[in-house]
Amino acid sequence: MTAGVPVTAARWMLLGEWRAHPARVVTAALAIAIGVALGFAVHLVNASALDSFERALSSVNGAADMQVRAATPAGFAEALYPRLARLPGVADISPVVELPARAAHIAPDIAGAGRGRVTLIGLDPLRAIAVTPSLVGRPGGEAGVLLSRAALDALDRRIGRRITLVAAGRSHAFTIAGVLPGASTDQAIAVIDIATAQWHFGQLGRLQRLDIRLGSDADPVAVRRAITTLLPADAILATPEADARRTDSLSRAYRVNLEMLAMVALLTGGFLVYSAQSLSVARRGPQFALLRVLGLPRRALLAQVLVEGAALGLAGSLLGIALGQALADVAVSRLGGDLGGGYFGAGTPHLGFAPGPAAVFAGIGIIVAMVSSLLPAREAAAAAPAVALKTSGALGDPRRAARLWPGAVLLALGGLAALAPPIAGLPLLGYAAMALLLAGGVATMPALVRLLLAPLRRLTGLPPALDLALKRLWGAPQQAAVALCGIVASTSLMVAMAVMVASFRGSVDDWLVAILPSDIYLHLEGAEGGGLDPAGQARLAATPGIASIAFVRQVPLRLAADRPPVLLSAQPIDRAAPGRRLLLVGTPRPVPAGETPVWVSEAMLWLYDARPGTRLMLPIGGRLQPVFVAGVWRDYARQFGAIAMADSDYVRLSGDAGKSEAAIDARPDTNIDRLIPALRRALPPGLAEQALFGQPRQMRAMALTIFDRSFAITYALEAIAIIIGLVGVAATFSAQTLARTREFGMLRHIGVSRRQIGAMLGAEGALLGLVGGLAGLALGVVMSLVLIHVVNPQSFHWTMDTRLPWGLFGTLLTALVVAAAGTALLAGRRALSGDAVRAVREDW
Amino acid sequence: MRRLAPLLLLLAAAAPVLPDYAPVRPEAPVVLPRDHGAHPAFRTEWWYVTGWLALPDGGRRGFQVTFFRTRPPVDQRNPSAFAAKQVIFAHAALSDPARGRLRHDQRIARAGFGLADAATRDTALVLDDWSLRRRRDGRFVTHVAGDGFALDLVLTPTQAAILQGRSGYSQKGPDPREASYYFSLPHLAVSGTLGEGRQRTPVTGTAWLDREWSSTLLNRRAVGWDWLGLNMDDGGALTLFRVRDGQGRPVWAGGSWRDKAGRLTILKPGDVIFSPGRPWRSPRTGTAWPVSPTITVTLPGRRLVLAVVPLFPDQELDSRRGGGPLYWEGAVSVPGGRGYLELTGYGAPLKM
Amino acid sequence: MPAPLPPALSVSGLTKALPGGRVLFSGLDLIVAPGEIIAIMGESGIGKSTLLNLIAGLDRPDNGSIAIAGDTLAGLSDDAATRLRRDRLGFVFQAFHILPHLTLAQNIALPLVLAHQGAAVALPAAHAMLAKIGLAGRGDDYPAQLSGGELQRIAIARALIHRPALILADEPTGNLDPETAERILALLLAEARSTGAAAVIVTHSDRAAAIADRVLVLTGAGLVPRAT
Repeated sequence: MTAGVPVTAARWMLLGEWRAHPARVVTAALAIAIGVALGFAVHLVNASALDSFERALSSVNGAADMQVRAATPAGFAEALYPRLARLPGVADISPVVELPARAAHIAPDIAGAGRGRVTLIGLDPLRAIAVTPSLVGRPGGEAGVLLSRAALDALDRRIGRRITLVAAGRSHAFTIAGVLPGASTDQAIAVIDIATAQWHFGQLGRLQRLDIRLGSDADPVAVRRAITTLLPADAILATPEADARRTDSLSRAYRVNLEMLAMVALLTGGFLVYSAQSLSVARRGPQFALLRVLGLPRRALLAQVLVEGAALGLAGSLLGIALGQALADVAVSRLGGDLGGGYFGAGTPHLGFAPGPAAVFAGIGIIVAMVSSLLPAREAAAAAPAVALKTSGALGDPRRAARLWPGAVLLALGGLAALAPPIAGLPLLGYAAMALLLAGGVATMPALVRLLLAPLRRLTGLPPALDLALKRLWGAPQQAAVALCGIVASTSLMVAMAVMVASFRGSVDDWLVAILPSDIYLHLEGAEGGGLDPAGQARLAATPGIASIAFVRQVPLRLAADRPPVLLSAQPIDRAAPGRRLLLVGTPRPVPAGETPVWVSEAMLWLYDARPGTRLMLPIGGRLQPVFVAGVWRDYARQFGAIAMADSDYVRLSGDAGKSEAAIDARPDTNIDRLIPALRRALPPGLAEQALFGQPRQMRAMALTIFDRSFAITYALEAIAIIIGLVGVAATFSAQTLARTREFGMLRHIGVSRRQIGAMLGAEGALLGLVGGLAGLALGVVMSLVLIHVVNPQSFHWTMDTRLPWGLFGTLLTALVVAAAGTALLAGRRALSGDAVRAVREDW
Repeated sequence: MRRLAPLLLLLAAAAPVLPDYAPVRPEAPVVLPRDHGAHPAFRTEWWYVTGWLALPDGGRRGFQVTFFRTRPPVDQRNPSAFAAKQVIFAHAALSDPARGRLRHDQRIARAGFGLADAATRDTALVLDDWSLRRRRDGRFVTHVAGDGFALDLVLTPTQAAILQGRSGYSQKGPDPREASYYFSLPHLAVSGTLGEGRQRTPVTGTAWLDREWSSTLLNRRAVGWDWLGLNMDDGGALTLFRVRDGQGRPVWAGGSWRDKAGRLTILKPGDVIFSPGRPWRSPRTGTAWPVSPTITVTLPGRRLVLAVVPLFPDQELDSRRGGGPLYWEGAVSVPGGRGYLELTGYGAPLKM
Repeated sequence: MPAPLPPALSVSGLTKALPGGRVLFSGLDLIVAPGEIIAIMGESGIGKSTLLNLIAGLDRPDNGSIAIAGDTLAGLSDDAATRLRRDRLGFVFQAFHILPHLTLAQNIALPLVLAHQGAAVALPAAHAMLAKIGLAGRGDDYPAQLSGGELQRIAIARALIHRPALILADEPTGNLDPETAERILALLLAEARSTGAAAVIVTHSDRAAAIADRVLVLTGAGLVPRAT
């Protein structure tokens, strides 16, 4: 009972402190609020985006219990349909033709290639009604098409109008017979009759999907086994669980990255609370000592400071949740559900309030605030009251050096964690390494400050203000370190991200230059299911003004039901010199006689363990064909893997001579702007409208714009981390200068001018900014190495070359020094405006 | 004219080539056993089995197993195996007086892939797990299984087929082109198993098979028809049909009477009078069904008056959710005979 | 006849050396009777404040024992010593140590609320004390509005509100002008007398010493009565 917290006393102390220093309380609560808000907002956006993505997927898929899917867009033979239909346990089965398609009246355009795209689904309504009723609407007949609301809007067409759809290199006109009532609002789907789809889009005898509904008493495992034994090489059995995994893996790394960034913001907020709390506790040392003298037990004091932290955390967290919800709303309406990452298509997810996650993030905020208060609280409770009562603020002995080893241990652990492999396909230990490095870097700050300032201290003939500032920083490293926490944490994170993004962007740019050597590139939209036939190729190649033309066939291959398809790119590769067309990583292997060589992208190494020298089985031409992995190339375009193959090999294995892209070199005397229309005219009708022509410069600019857009949220989070850091500096300085009012009064008494004190404060701020900035820079570069060499390869399966943005470093450092000096001056002005005589007499 | 030719060609290419339905012609009679098979050239066709079942415990059930074939107006050039050039659908219903309502189920699919098919050489209908086949010995076997019931029946003909109308040409309206090919197999001896829930019971009984196919069946004014097939206890068989207009007046009527000695009388429109009697109103659809009509048939030299009594009133079958019609199809009896009554077009005009 | 009260303070054989090894005092004895006012004088750095800290349980002696109103300090845990301080001791400091963000009444009531009294009990008691020290009606003011002498009066009120057995005052007039100092000492004396508290006042001031029942001087040889 007596050891408990005297409640009235605690309440008086808390309310009294808050009344006296509301700005300080608000700042600390805001820091937590910003952290919680960012974390919660990113989580909300991710959750809703994933949710809407899943809804979109299930709306294309209907709600089948199981699905057999084609491994390639060419589909599988329709004979599979009656075989599976007769299996016991299969209650209903709906054959589906599914093709990527475009509306002909919307010309493709590099900038908005997604516009006009629809998923064309051909089905037999009589079968589909039992399996995927959401895809069945008012019967449209053979000449009718049913559009989802999203397709209707995106294609800008009304019911009853005609629309020409292009897929697999063919076009056909339909009458819009109605809307698909059951389809998700954010997915562009066009449903036509299966027979029409087969006939008019070159799919006779082929199906891309079989949607299956199981009988109520069927054993799913037995049915799955029975189906699997009947599947040909070019079909794969998918279940809703595998779909969910695939959806998840599609964007998981990106989402985890964002959540980590948000947690970093929360952590930075925690640093700010820590610095605010520890300064506030240091400042109130004599007050706490008085309470101890008057009879407040040690543990009660500890509890009181913790309660203070918890109260700050609670206020900040509640504010943060509200802020986060608002932020998420704005982000979703401005940037879309993927926050610009390009993972979820054009849909706009809808946000609701999520009480569970809200509670979790509020809890994290409170815990961060309490942990941040724990250290200062323990310090306050441990202080000898008789000593503390007489000293204003914790000063410590300037000769005592801070310990270096705890920070060094953390840094070493961070280094070790960075070497660890991914866990569950995520670089969790990579993130742990980042956190350890950050903590270690901050922990070494006190020692580092002395180390960095030691040479300066011995300088003589310095202006008195600078001299005083140096001595103070060197003498009170603990306090300086507290002030530096925020700077170092946010600077290092910013630098780490900046180095990573710069390296990534630079590597992407190099890669773009390497893969775009020709003058003109042709891409046929929606040609996955067909393409330009040899006659068309010959006609195109005969266009006057062409020096050379290289045709490419790109086909998505589904290698595993729970992973997104990989892209097979058949192109004119010279077996002896694959490096001429591919940006190879390492030396390619010689191809043994009789083998079909392929060259895989880096992602294939990670996802399918496709090491050079091993063999892969690829579903080409309706059979599983063994191929030899001859090398690895760098590809930033397809996170889920790409395989390059010589086109002659592909045609031999598949019998598919159609092409979906071409790289064209013009004769030197040819005007490229005139060549493009000529090329378009040379294409057969149906394909001409779907042809996208690009020139390298424009394509590079486009790719980098997309790159920047997808990193927009990263930049925003970084900026917020920096702002939190600067707010921390400002808060620290204002707290410190207030605590030092007496010192300033004394200095004024002994004849130091107000201007000189201002200069001293400015110098202190600038020095802190410089030291913090340099330390943050060093730490950030180390952390960026973890991002570049651990987190990125493990998340996205690509590597990049490190590039240091020196210009940015310089700007950042200057900004930090100026901002820190400015905030220090600003805070000092308030402390100096008081009456100097009074300041000396005042105790605290 | 020559200058128009290319344009016409273009139009021909763009417009779908719709099916050219075969006409029903009086001079081409029904020939058995050839015509047991399907007639895909015609627009529509059905195999209509109705009958009474007796259970070992003395219980009675009415049953209906019906297969339809229809030829939708789709582009005949479409080479896709999925093209809906023929669609097979089937209804099955079980009338249990103890339940007071029908159990029924249905299947529908495009013909193809062996999953749905109507063979032309003989009666051989497959629709997923449902089937109706005529064996070499002339017996029909059928299997249907649906919502809580299953029927596995063998139907053995005991009498020759009745070729309705003029040797199977059966006029259905004032215009001679409004006609169908129509023959009936009355007095089929039934044996087999009835499944109800998890219980399976051996059953016997008497059934009736109606076979009809046509391309232009109904008059423009017609909204529905009534049909009655009775197996008389003495071996006689009565077939009646009546096509109604919007006011309930007969547009056309007909049928046949074959007495126990096998003498066949074809009925003309004026020979059939159908007095609706007191209707039963469906609590589900609100439709008033004349389920106990009184039939007056004028035969050479005598007049047959039959008061029809349903096994129970609620034998309404609503297949509208599956795209089918709302109709009443029920087991009925008359003094000295039992059979099935079909009433269509009472809720909404029937579209064929 | 009531049982004789234990002495307000009983110090015997007290020995304390500084961390550097210099011995401040050795075998020091002191008995303060209930209600007795003692003044301790001595040169700066001789160990007067250390002696007070030892009596308050804020520092540990190297040897010897201290008892406050019969309760021995030696061997008490930090929490128990804190409780003893809270219940039996009152403090007055040279630098006042009035918490700036608490009202005057709250400052005075601190010892009561630290002993888990509710505000409903503690604040009326504080207001009553304010009246006694001549600051009636100013309970809701903040310390910033007060002069040094007024602050020290608040401190005296705080030291006495919980009726401690012993008041420890470390240079209570050190920061005050002579006139104010005089009035403060008179107040301290009067209030100590009225509550029956004993007091140990460490001071350099002869005026302060003059109000004491007994004046002792701390020397290297221990506490000796001041030669008059």
